[in-house]
Amino acid sequence: MAAETKKVAQDLSAKLRTQKLRTAIAAIVFVVMAAGLILGVSTGTMSGFGWESISALCPLGAVATMLATKTMVPRAVISLVIMALLILVVGRAFCAWLCPSMLITRIQEFLRTPKKRRELAAETHDKMVDIAKYEITQAKESAGVKANGLSAKALGATYAAGAGDSAATVAAAATSASPANPINAASAASASAAVATASLSAQDKKALSGCGAGSCTAGCASCASAKQPHKKLDSRHYVLGGALLSTAIFGFPVFCLVCPVGLTFATVLVVWRLFAAGDMTIAVILVPALLIIELVFLRKWCTRFCPLSALMNLVSRFSKTFVPVIDDTKCLETSQGVPCSRCAQVCESDINIRHIAYGERTLADCSRCRNCADVCPTHAISFLVFAGAKAKSGARDGIPAPEAQPATVMLDEDALEVPSA
Amino acid sequence: MADKTNVPQGADAAGDATAAEGAAAPEPQGTKGAKKAKEPMSVSRRSLLIGVGSTAALLGLGAMRYAGHTPLNRPPGGQDEAHLVSACIRCERCYEACPRRVIVPAKIEDGLLGMRSPMLDFEAEYCDFCQEENGGVPKCVEACPTEALVLPAGASATSTIIGRAVIDTSTCLAYRDTGCRECYDACPYEAIQLTDVSINPHPYVVEDKCNGCGACEFSCVSMKAGSLATTGATRRAIIVQPVGTY
Ligand code: SF4
Ligand code: SF4
Ligand code: SF4
Ligand code: SF4
Ligand code: SF4
Repeated sequence: MAAETKKVAQDLSAKLRTQKLRTAIAAIVFVVMAAGLILGVSTGTMSGFGWESISALCPLGAVATMLATKTMVPRAVISLVIMALLILVVGRAFCAWLCPSMLITRIQEFLRTPKKRRELAAETHDKMVDIAKYEITQAKESAGVKANGLSAKALGATYAAGAGDSAATVAAAATSASPANPINAASAASASAAVATASLSAQDKKALSGCGAGSCTAGCASCASAKQPHKKLDSRHYVLGGALLSTAIFGFPVFCLVCPVGLTFATVLVVWRLFAAGDMTIAVILVPALLIIELVFLRKWCTRFCPLSALMNLVSRFSKTFVPVIDDTKCLETSQGVPCSRCAQVCESDINIRHIAYGERTLADCSRCRNCADVCPTHAISFLVFAGAKAKSGARDGIPAPEAQPATVMLDEDALEVPSA
Repeated sequence: MADKTNVPQGADAAGDATAAEGAAAPEPQGTKGAKKAKEPMSVSRRSLLIGVGSTAALLGLGAMRYAGHTPLNRPPGGQDEAHLVSACIRCERCYEACPRRVIVPAKIEDGLLGMRSPMLDFEAEYCDFCQEENGGVPKCVEACPTEALVLPAGASATSTIIGRAVIDTSTCLAYRDTGCRECYDACPYEAIQLTDVSINPHPYVVEDKCNGCGACEFSCVSMKAGSLATTGATRRAIIVQPVGTY
């Protein structure tokens, strides 16, 4: 099992090509800004960047400063408009491409032991694949119900699809020394028993949902209840509300004091001043400590706490551009009924792009990180310049009933895995 | 989130926590009540906890306003202390913009409220209102995107009072008849005059002319002179006091 999950984990992180590019861009921008801070070149920080008297403000800072002083600040208003337009076009791309917190997360990942990495990868892998299996079962059931009585042929086709997959997986397991996923193989093995009868037996369901393989101890109900409530406002918005409330009451940008973006630059500054000016201050310890508390100990800062993320979400929820869209004719799950869900395992914004209902966040929070597109074995995910209608269908909960596919396609999928193993 | 920073105001923060609950709770509770049956409690409860906890922490942090901080010399246009603290988002643009590097981020030791806000460090340099580099238009004010630093139209070096210099006669070298007159030579506004009480004149500050540029403090050699170790001085003999402290 350990060897298998290791393979999965390596496969996925090795495929994150855009992540390397993003990390490099964010690192370069950060270094340039930090150098500007040290050398006194007017580049600004991410709280307010620009040249000479031109500057774009952090949207939260812009709101906070105006709320605190109760005045309109022209540059803050202009910044807000520009930021809103940018967010409308690229959503929360700042989070994946520029935010220094992202760099800290990368460092944190880098510092993890391989064992820990494997465990985490295995955990998300099992969770997402279980969801996919459960959803496939559901889809087949409803397809079966629909087809029942209408056309015996269609019914047969649907079942054959399920059986075909199972057979294919068995074949794959037989040809490949290390199958992608032991659960797949195990469930396929038990599912193959159902091939003969070609009926959606309880055993088939059980096998497909993965419960039979022992990875799921809580039963199907746990998968059904794993659906996440997607409300208009979530915990981040409450943090944002708290920050603005405090700003309004006490009349200063309270959150700016503890903003992880600002604290990252503050770290550069205090450390630099410690060496350059001999400025000894407890901030040298306190600032990085606060940063670590926020980003490491408050789990999922970006998804659950960050008020900047909340503010961006208010606009990015209307973004219809450069949104990832799954081509259902290519996706392994919808075209072949294979519980792949690699896209859901790597999302940096806790979105399950395949089964939106199960992700903590929806596509409204997509940071355009491209992780999902990079790991998709069939390149089914693309970022359309405009994805109005398609984005909606991609975000839909249900999936179409799988169509029958030749077994070779499944073998191809496994072949994709072998070289990187 | 801000637990650490709350420590000095523990009591306040605790008091605020209850206030925060009252303020932040209505929203989450409303939605929770409506959708109770449908969704797992854990998610709503977690949101509520995060919301209430963070709001309490942020209100506690906000209460720092009353803790205040040590008075600091601010860059031109930052003399309205309340306004500066309200508007400054700690972006450090002014710090970067200052061609003389006299602006430094305030330290946490001077008070959490003012941390990283801009202050003038006259031991490092003095402020010439960007006379040399920008024709007398302060670059820091130009760069500040939030108008935390803001000057009235037509403000000049002489009309903008940053602070006022005072001489500590117990540590001033001139008052020990060493003949020092560094500050007198440095002052661009002729705000330091010399008395002719002896062959070694004593400097004094003409308060109406001093605008607190810091040239005197920057040039003062009292701390460098080894003989002063005996007086136990921790600052130079002439320092600029921030507006509002005199
Ligand atoms: S959610 Fe906040 S901290 Fe996280 S990447 Fe986005 S802006 Fe940065
Ligand atoms: S949906 Fe895809 S692009 Fe968007 S944040 Fe998730 S992994 Fe990144
Ligand atoms: S006016 Fe010029 S020299 Fe004085 S603090 Fe501002 S930027 Fe620096
Ligand atoms: S430029 Fe303005 S907002 Fe930014 S740190 Fe300086 S005073 Fe504060
Ligand atoms: S430079 Fe300092 S020591 Fe010298 S006269 Fe002025 S205040 Fe006194």
